[in-house]
Amino acid sequence: MILIGILVTLAGFVLSVLSLAATSSVAGRLTMVLAGMAISLFGILGLLNKAFLKNAVWKKG
Amino acid sequence: MKVATKSFLVVLLALVCTAPFSFAQTPAPPAATAPSATPSVIPAPVPKPILDSDLANVPVPSAEVRAKGDPDGSLTGNASDVTVSDPQKGLRIGDLVNQVGQNKIAINFVWTLITGYLVMFMQLGFALLETGLARAKNANHTMMMNVAVYGVGMFAYWLIGFAIQMGGVGAVANLGGTAPLSAEFTATLFGKPFGLFGQHGMFLMHKGTYDVGVMVLFLFQMVFMDTGATIPTGAAVERWKFSAFLITSFLFAAFTYPLFANWAWGGGWLANLGANFGLGKGYCDFAGSGVVHAVGGLSALAIAMILGPRIGKFSREGRPQVILAHDIVMVLTGCLILAFGWFGFNPGSTLGASGNGGLRISSIAVNTMLASATGLIGAMLYMWIVYKKPDASMTGNGFLAGLVAITAPSGFVNPVGAAIIGLIAGVLVCLSVGFVERVMQIDDPVGAVSVHGTCGLWGVISLGLFADGKSNYGGSWNGVNGSVTGLFYGDAGQLVAQLIGVATLLGFVFSLSLIFGIVVDLLVGQRTSAKSELEGLDLPEMGAIAYPEFELKSPS
Repeated sequence: MILIGILVTLAGFVLSVLSLAATSSVAGRLTMVLAGMAISLFGILGLLNKAFLKNAVWKKG
Repeated sequence: MKVATKSFLVVLLALVCTAPFSFAQTPAPPAATAPSATPSVIPAPVPKPILDSDLANVPVPSAEVRAKGDPDGSLTGNASDVTVSDPQKGLRIGDLVNQVGQNKIAINFVWTLITGYLVMFMQLGFALLETGLARAKNANHTMMMNVAVYGVGMFAYWLIGFAIQMGGVGAVANLGGTAPLSAEFTATLFGKPFGLFGQHGMFLMHKGTYDVGVMVLFLFQMVFMDTGATIPTGAAVERWKFSAFLITSFLFAAFTYPLFANWAWGGGWLANLGANFGLGKGYCDFAGSGVVHAVGGLSALAIAMILGPRIGKFSREGRPQVILAHDIVMVLTGCLILAFGWFGFNPGSTLGASGNGGLRISSIAVNTMLASATGLIGAMLYMWIVYKKPDASMTGNGFLAGLVAITAPSGFVNPVGAAIIGLIAGVLVCLSVGFVERVMQIDDPVGAVSVHGTCGLWGVISLGLFADGKSNYGGSWNGVNGSVTGLFYGDAGQLVAQLIGVATLLGFVFSLSLIFGIVVDLLVGQRTSAKSELEGLDLPEMGAIAYPEFELKSPS
């Protein structure tokens, strides 16, 4: 799960960089970058944080 | 009360009576005057060229006069103090011009060095802030992390970090050149060069970097890096194994920070988004909301995730519990020291006070002050309204949040923009602390993730909104002519460049920090044992407690 989380987080960054080549319009790039940021945030909050919380000290006996 | 009312009425009456006369006093049309002769224009005198021979007769106080002392300072500093290149020929025009050039660079050196010393002083602010927010049983450990990071971080940065960050920056005009920093490793992507890391400057000896201008740049950039490196210690307080902290800090100073700093400040691909892809002036970050604070804050988030919360921070049901700070006086003293140091952080980032827009230092300093004030007010009022008390530690965090947010835009926005940016940061930090603790269930004892991470990202974005296009640092920024201009002043492309920076911070910098953190965890283990944590880390990790007398007097 941690590995998937890192890959998804990185994928958001890659999508943002790809916006530079995908279109030259400001609106198009803005949309792609915002989508990239959303993917990275999902990777951090939705995948990585949950994966680490599974072993949180307060969940143990 | 009656007297006041009467006085008010008298004043009002007087105003009404005089109003018609006042209104009548509109500027009269200019009186018709007899047409005069063509206005006489006195031509400006043509300056007489100064010749070398003129300089031979410049009066200088004689040795006898100087021997009597100079109590009013009128004799000290004269033509005899100008360095002469050829004593046989005496003072010449070329000597004067060289002296003027060296004076300009000297002013910039002194300015950059002194502001760098101020930034170094911020280490004390961080140390007091974090130690005060920890419990007394961890005071020695927390203080030691803040001291050790200075030495370890600097060592790693000297070895390789500076070369990665600035090894390809090229000539920094305000510092008289820094020409040896001329090798940037680039890859071609989408038909454009993407600068990835610098290559000159290891040990400050490599490839001619034993150079006075390079030394100034190193000192200034080193203290910035160290500010970033000390941020994760706040989120990891009371449970971070000291050996793991040392290795993690080394990796931060050697790789994580310098890579992003190269992309933003060292001539890397983010800085060139304007020149290569037409996005405003490229990614802009005047003093480091992104480079320093967001990098530090996101690294802090990665470490806090790996470590997990302190024992007792969350109940079995996952509800956050309050763990009180041991010294709120220390906390607020730390905040004030940090605010003082920020006058080095932001105005110092001009790298000079003379030439290339150096006089903007006044505007940058005022923007810094204003944002800190509105950040403080925003957080204090938010806590007062929502929680019924103006919480001291959150007010301090709001103070710092305003400063963090204004760090990137400080050189490009006007005072009203600065005040708004700070106010939003002050409220944002309160919301973010709640989100990190209640929703993410992450234990961040000092609020480092929110203050530096969240508000650092906000600072980067705010530049893309509020930059007013009035700044001028030599006519261009990041190789693109014109002033940095945000969305509200007409350039949407600048906002996109800023958001690509944010995406890089979230996607790349966070991931790299997490990978380094996991590797260190596998090698030496990041977290101390539960026994050490409960006992307090001072004795098991450092071998001595911070307050021995206090411990002796304790009832337990």
